[in-house]
Amino acid sequence: MTFSAPEENTLGVVVGNARRAVGKTARRLGRASAHRASLGTAFLGLGAAILVGLRAVYGASWFIGLWGRGVYPQPLAALSAWIVLGAVIVGAIVTSRVIGDRLPDWMFGLFLTGLLVAVALDVIAVWELHDIGRDATAALAAGMTLLIVVTVRGSSEILIAAGVLGVGLAVVIFLDTPPSDQITGDWIAPQITAVAAAVLPAVIGVAIVEGFRRMVQVELDRVLVQSTVSAPRYAVGMLASEELARLDLAAEELLESIAGKKTALPLAPKMASIAASLATELRLHLIEGRRETWLYHAVSESEMLGKAVTLVDKSSLAGLLDPIQRDGLLAAAWLLVGDTITSNASRTVTVQVGPVAPGETPVPEHKILVPITITTTGVARNRVDPSIWDALGRVGHYSDHTQDSSLRVDIECLVDNPADL
Amino acid sequence: MDLITKERDRLLQRTARVYGLSFTLVALLCIVLPGAVGGTALVISLPLFLVLGVAQFRIGISRSPVWLALALVMGLAIIVVACTVGPRPSQAGFTAVVELAAASLASLGLVLTSNGPRIAALIITFLVVGATLLLLTSDLQAPLRTAGVYVLGWVLPTLIAIWISAGVPQVAKRIASIGRAHRAERQASELEAQRRQGARLLHDTVLATLTLLAHSGVGVTPEALREQAGDDAKLLRQLRLGTTPTPNGDAVGTATSPIQVIDEPVLGTTLESVKQRFGRMGLQVSWHGTGQVLLPSNHLDAFLLALAECLENVRRHSGVTEAHVTITEDSKMVRAMVTDAGVGFDISDIDEAKLGFTESVVARLRDVGGNARLFSAPGSGTTVVLEVPRGDASNGEAGA
Repeated sequence: MTFSAPEENTLGVVVGNARRAVGKTARRLGRASAHRASLGTAFLGLGAAILVGLRAVYGASWFIGLWGRGVYPQPLAALSAWIVLGAVIVGAIVTSRVIGDRLPDWMFGLFLTGLLVAVALDVIAVWELHDIGRDATAALAAGMTLLIVVTVRGSSEILIAAGVLGVGLAVVIFLDTPPSDQITGDWIAPQITAVAAAVLPAVIGVAIVEGFRRMVQVELDRVLVQSTVSAPRYAVGMLASEELARLDLAAEELLESIAGKKTALPLAPKMASIAASLATELRLHLIEGRRETWLYHAVSESEMLGKAVTLVDKSSLAGLLDPIQRDGLLAAAWLLVGDTITSNASRTVTVQVGPVAPGETPVPEHKILVPITITTTGVARNRVDPSIWDALGRVGHYSDHTQDSSLRVDIECLVDNPADL
Repeated sequence: MDLITKERDRLLQRTARVYGLSFTLVALLCIVLPGAVGGTALVISLPLFLVLGVAQFRIGISRSPVWLALALVMGLAIIVVACTVGPRPSQAGFTAVVELAAASLASLGLVLTSNGPRIAALIITFLVVGATLLLLTSDLQAPLRTAGVYVLGWVLPTLIAIWISAGVPQVAKRIASIGRAHRAERQASELEAQRRQGARLLHDTVLATLTLLAHSGVGVTPEALREQAGDDAKLLRQLRLGTTPTPNGDAVGTATSPIQVIDEPVLGTTLESVKQRFGRMGLQVSWHGTGQVLLPSNHLDAFLLALAECLENVRRHSGVTEAHVTITEDSKMVRAMVTDAGVGFDISDIDEAKLGFTESVVARLRDVGGNARLFSAPGSGTTVVLEVPRGDASNGEAGA
């Protein structure tokens, strides 16, 4: 077994550099949940496919009507436009259902090429009528067809494709204007609605899918953090044992390589310094004081809370809260932070737990009173979600004030006295 | 209210905003076309469009029904003004009115499906807007065709809202199961961390070896260091594979050492292993006093750790190669006196400079109700007295 130096240092975690711990934890959890953000979008994709199918049937019936009336100067071009579009729609629906995940680039390229061909053929078919907005059928349905891949490709790609289609249609319409005496408001209006009908479905679809992904992300973040509610008074956190195991393994490999004479003695300075840092890290990981309260882990493991919440809990009193109180406090923090629809960075929340001031208020036997103060910036008292008061009520008796035009809540939280347990 | 329900409403609100504003813009573009509606009607409509836009923007943020009502009233007002003030609207004006009634206002359908009262409001809105549209435009297009477009325009966003709402519980269920898995993972990780942290004795010898290596192994023969490294690597391997081994002087059979299975291990054998370990590193430990002492395993752990720590300090700092350990016991306590004839140091330095002593020696002993005392002066050696309670049936836990 050969020894390789551990790829990262874990010291920062211990000496109170929470930011680094936060970043690292969030990154790891984030990596895991980035994939999970696709959760449920398959269902949305199915809905989008159904809509596209209906839209295609609607457009095709228009096409058949126009065909029946013999409107088309180039009927074969219009027919082949619909054949191509139909093939693209069926192919895309089947492929995206089967693949379910991200569509490969070349398939997306093929899909876009198919749409382009359909649009071009349809435009050729009605070119001589000089009224694309009213007579184009497949070209307009092509815009909505983008919805099929809205869940399996990036939002920006869909938006760009829709934008290109919209601009392209506008240019084509402009190039194909009738003699100037026929250009009236009544001619322009159908052109506008035609371009809108081609572009807007994709835009709205992207908005929905983006919002849905965000919703899933937020909920995942919340559920993962929720598991801290049942944690013991002090816990090492999700990644501590992984880090400890990694250090143990690194030490084992180093010692083994020495025992197996693969590493010369006395050690080279570089190896010696690796041994020194391993020993230091290992020692720090073994100190009991490394353990933190559930609230620290909740804040450091959550992407949303980690960004906005500062925790001040010098005596680790948060660990004394029972699960119901923890749940309430977490929900309150969540509501304060997560209520920002416009993601304004100015909203911050500081949760201060303790210090315990004995003897001020009479408390029941075997209980102590832990004061919790939540100060915020950028949270107007009348703008907070009403359910926050219910959540705070679960933590303890609270009173709310406005401080610096932002909400401040003082909670008197009764917990079991650890000395009596 | 459920937090995910809240998130769902937020999603629908934002969708309604994008949907409504987009089609309001289309309607606005159509109505300003020359000849679409009369001049007066246009002048009256423009501010109404502005208010409609603001209301639809606010729908994206606020759940308050005020904005819904405002958007509805503005939309209706524009339709009425466009159709009744001045000359009849042209085809372009009619397009604007239909876009407004069947698409822009239809976006309200996205946020009006979540509960009973809202669904009732949706139906009423749908009927009122539809009736207004059909009454005022019956001469511009066959009412049946207008009605068809209108119904389609309202069904679409309503279906989108219903579809999304149907998808949310499925997702919530799957997220909840991920959450359960995560909770189990957290507990498992906590247990594993505790197991590894609990293997104190093992980590202590590993740390001692690592510290030696950090000084490039100077002062210890390479053979002894190799042997020690091999022993420690073996112990770490056992830890990794799932047992909690205890270091032992014996190079063989450490995993099956009787020390793990006896409730009250014999201090003597274990002390011997400490002695052997330091012997390999060049510190001769001489033994005095009681040969056999019985201690509960947690007391033994703390005692041995503290003892090893003291000997390590002697080895590193005293400048001598010999230390004496005297073990004594009475009915309550087991004591070890570690003495050396080394350089010694000033006791008053210890608080700041040797925090390691308090952390590793004193804290561990106090954990089990013991204590440590330190005597030293520069030039006259060091004596440490360690004590732990016997912890047997009569007075065992009382000391803790």
